[in-house]
Amino acid sequence: METPHYVAARVQRALAEDERTTELGIRVDVRGEQVYLRGQVSCDERRHQIENVAREAAPGLHVHNEISLVEVREPGEEEHL
Amino acid sequence: MTELRIAAVADIHLGEDLRGHYRKKIEGIERRADVLLVGGDLTRHGTIAEGRVVAEELSGLPIPVVAVLGNHDYHSDHNQEIIDLLRDAGITVLDDEGTVVPVDGVRLGVAGGKGFGGGFAGKCASEFGEPETKAFVRHTKDIAERWRRALKELDADHKIVLSHYSPVKDTLMGEPPEIYPFLGSYMLAEAADAEGADLFIHGHAHAGTEKGVTPGGIRVRNVALPVIKHAYTVYCLNGDDC
Repeated sequence: METPHYVAARVQRALAEDERTTELGIRVDVRGEQVYLRGQVSCDERRHQIENVAREAAPGLHVHNEISLVEVREPGEEEHL
Repeated sequence: MTELRIAAVADIHLGEDLRGHYRKKIEGIERRADVLLVGGDLTRHGTIAEGRVVAEELSGLPIPVVAVLGNHDYHSDHNQEIIDLLRDAGITVLDDEGTVVPVDGVRLGVAGGKGFGGGFAGKCASEFGEPETKAFVRHTKDIAERWRRALKELDADHKIVLSHYSPVKDTLMGEPPEIYPFLGSYMLAEAADAEGADLFIHGHAHAGTEKGVTPGGIRVRNVALPVIKHAYTVYCLNGDDC
């Protein structure tokens, strides 16, 4: 079995460099045959694309998509400096 | 003197899939703020098509918009074209320079640009060794020097630095420390501290925190969308009431 450390590095690089994702802020953890993706993106389509790219970069492993969606709320309180 | 209400956001990462979404969130911004500052990573891949979406989302607002690019906006090597089309849409884009925005008789000076990395004092890269390392560090050094000059030349009542990369570690808290050198540089803070500013706005660090301060005492705010979780945040200068 490939060393999890290198699998995680490969997935992380793929997420950053693949034109479908170009996501730099996704955390990738590999435990045995399980790959965990964590982070935040702004729409569901991007969340799915990240999972697809991760699956291609880690064939045969089980990818858990734990990425959450950023909910952009209306502006809140001002800060007085 | 009139209070200034500064709306700020960064890392909006717009593309076709988000067309129209961000604009909806900033409608009515003129009731809350006098100016909107956007701290880079306007797009995902830095394509001209994405740049057009950004121009559409940010143009025609009743308040001035000042923006800088981020690293994502450079990815397709169309950074200059993106700058041009944003400027054509009436958005002021700072590329290592300054501008003065008049707001009800108050002159708000904004200086900055994308910025770059290198790390923070004591744990940073130096202009030493291989040409690639020297070029990396020199890029930040040159940017910091241009910002220092831009700040010095600003004839304004208030000054704000607008950047994509961070000037301090404070606002990176939450990011892995190993990647700090890719998230900012102390040289950006040093330039601001040398000339003085009221506020330093940046983005880039999605997992960071909002508030920090430079060694010289300038308030730093990381307004990356995943950090502030709002369409923008409003900072009020010079007054208790906004």
